[in-house]
Amino acid sequence: MKIALLYGTETGNAEMLCEDIEGHLEGDHDVAMADLGDTDPAALDGEAFHLIVCSTYGDGDLPASAQPFAEALEKAAPDLSAIRFAIFGLGDSSYDTYNEGSQKLAELLVKFGAKQVGERTIHDAMGSDMPEDLAFPWAEDRIAEAESLFAES
Amino acid sequence: MTQIAPKIAIVGAGPSGCYLAQALLKAVPGAEIDMLDRLPVPFGLVRYGVAADHQGTKAVARQFSRLFEKQGVRFFGNVTLGQDGEEGTIALTELQEAYDVVALGLGLPRDRALPLPGGDLPGVIGAGALTRHWNDHPDDAADLPDLGRRVVIVGQGNVAIDVLRILAKREEHFEGSDLSHRHTDHIAAAGIESIDIFGRSPAHEAKFDPVMVKELAQLPHMGFAFEGLHHSDGREDTRLEALASLPAAGDHDIRVTFHFGATPVKLCSDAGRVASARFACGGEELSLPCDTVISAIGFETHVPGIRDDLLAGAEDADLGVIRPGLYATGWFARGPRGTIPENRQAAQALAKRIAADLGTLPTGEKPGSAALLTRCPETTDYQGWQRIDAAETAACAEGRVRAKVADLSQMLTLAKGQPETDS
Repeated sequence: MKIALLYGTETGNAEMLCEDIEGHLEGDHDVAMADLGDTDPAALDGEAFHLIVCSTYGDGDLPASAQPFAEALEKAAPDLSAIRFAIFGLGDSSYDTYNEGSQKLAELLVKFGAKQVGERTIHDAMGSDMPEDLAFPWAEDRIAEAESLFAES
Repeated sequence: MTQIAPKIAIVGAGPSGCYLAQALLKAVPGAEIDMLDRLPVPFGLVRYGVAADHQGTKAVARQFSRLFEKQGVRFFGNVTLGQDGEEGTIALTELQEAYDVVALGLGLPRDRALPLPGGDLPGVIGAGALTRHWNDHPDDAADLPDLGRRVVIVGQGNVAIDVLRILAKREEHFEGSDLSHRHTDHIAAAGIESIDIFGRSPAHEAKFDPVMVKELAQLPHMGFAFEGLHHSDGREDTRLEALASLPAAGDHDIRVTFHFGATPVKLCSDAGRVASARFACGGEELSLPCDTVISAIGFETHVPGIRDDLLAGAEDADLGVIRPGLYATGWFARGPRGTIPENRQAAQALAKRIAADLGTLPTGEKPGSAALLTRCPETTDYQGWQRIDAAETAACAEGRVRAKVADLSQMLTLAKGQPETDS
């Protein structure tokens, strides 16, 4: 399956996780990875399934590399109804804005018509799970769901 | 044209140095990157500055580990940068003879002293030294005197809030941290009842990030009071919202008072120890009895003889270019402002510049680590850190993720893989 793997990062942790997911999916799928900061929201590819990893920074804000993407999205207001995505959040439960960044990004994509596949999965940096131990099954499960959706359409 | 891989030394294996190494791997493919640190452990401020109860923030070390474990960057610990001829150190000129590129990421580890009468009294502790003490840094491992029931904090930045939070937390709040029971016992023994935290700025311009203050609301045994909030009348700011989210002081075990628009004037002593702190608040003076004063008013270099000269002649100090071939990064370059991830973007910009400079510099002639190892035979390596890491993880107490080794000779023994003897 054609996968567009996108990350929004502040510290680089989300980018590293995406590199790991890319390595995990390669071979089985056609994966292209990109920083949300280098991605034009109006040029998203409806043929690809979008897997997005996004952290939270500051007071529940989007991380630095997702901010220009969100601003461009608000400004261009493209029709994203052909876009299917799943999202994985990185957060820290020390703060009461835990994982709000990925939530905000998902809501923004949905606002412009994108279809979210499956529930958002979140990782807690204060917990004992390694992010990839949650993210690999997340990617596999969402891809399986998306495959049937893409087959129907 | 084939070019021999440039040899790059980054001095200081803290977050800004590690982010620079990461960016250089992409900007200068094939470069040989060596990271040097005076301690046998990498990660600098992530290990010794980030608060022990913020393990989520420390998770960035996983990225930095990958530099050494998968990306070919080498770690040389137990190497100290010094002035020419200074015993037990290697000089910058020597490093420049060995490497095509030298980048300094030494941080700013020294607490800026309180510029007040009494600022150096016993009972006055720097926030950086205290944070290192709680993080078991070998330089600040010695036991502290009793903190007493009344603590004054001067400064309201994120470091001050870290100190406040750790002083106020109870044993159960440190579950999953790496704060030693030695430290939680010491804090508990003080029986702290009041913490007064002073800042010169009005509340709407205070130095803390709002999220750091909101986090304090999770501790139910703390109540909060505010002085000088009137300076912010009519203002709207996320800092004011964060302060408003804190529970008002009442029947709480610890009363925390934020004082805004308050300038420290003088610390007074009794029986050879700080006993009160005097502040100017608007037109009035406030004298507050206290047992301990923690100064959190910023950081400065521990090597002024090196840093001041370099930055004075820097080609582009903001970017970190001293001159082609010699660079500075992180707080050492830019001063004590900005969070850890801000160094990531700064490092990417500097790495691009280094890559461009390398096109004009002769490379491939220098000996790199071969010269370093001859000059500093007592260096430790990444496997040495992994041995320390394994020992710390294995020794950790219940409810903790790590028990840090605070003694430098023990760290070196572990790093070198020599069996410990009991004799």
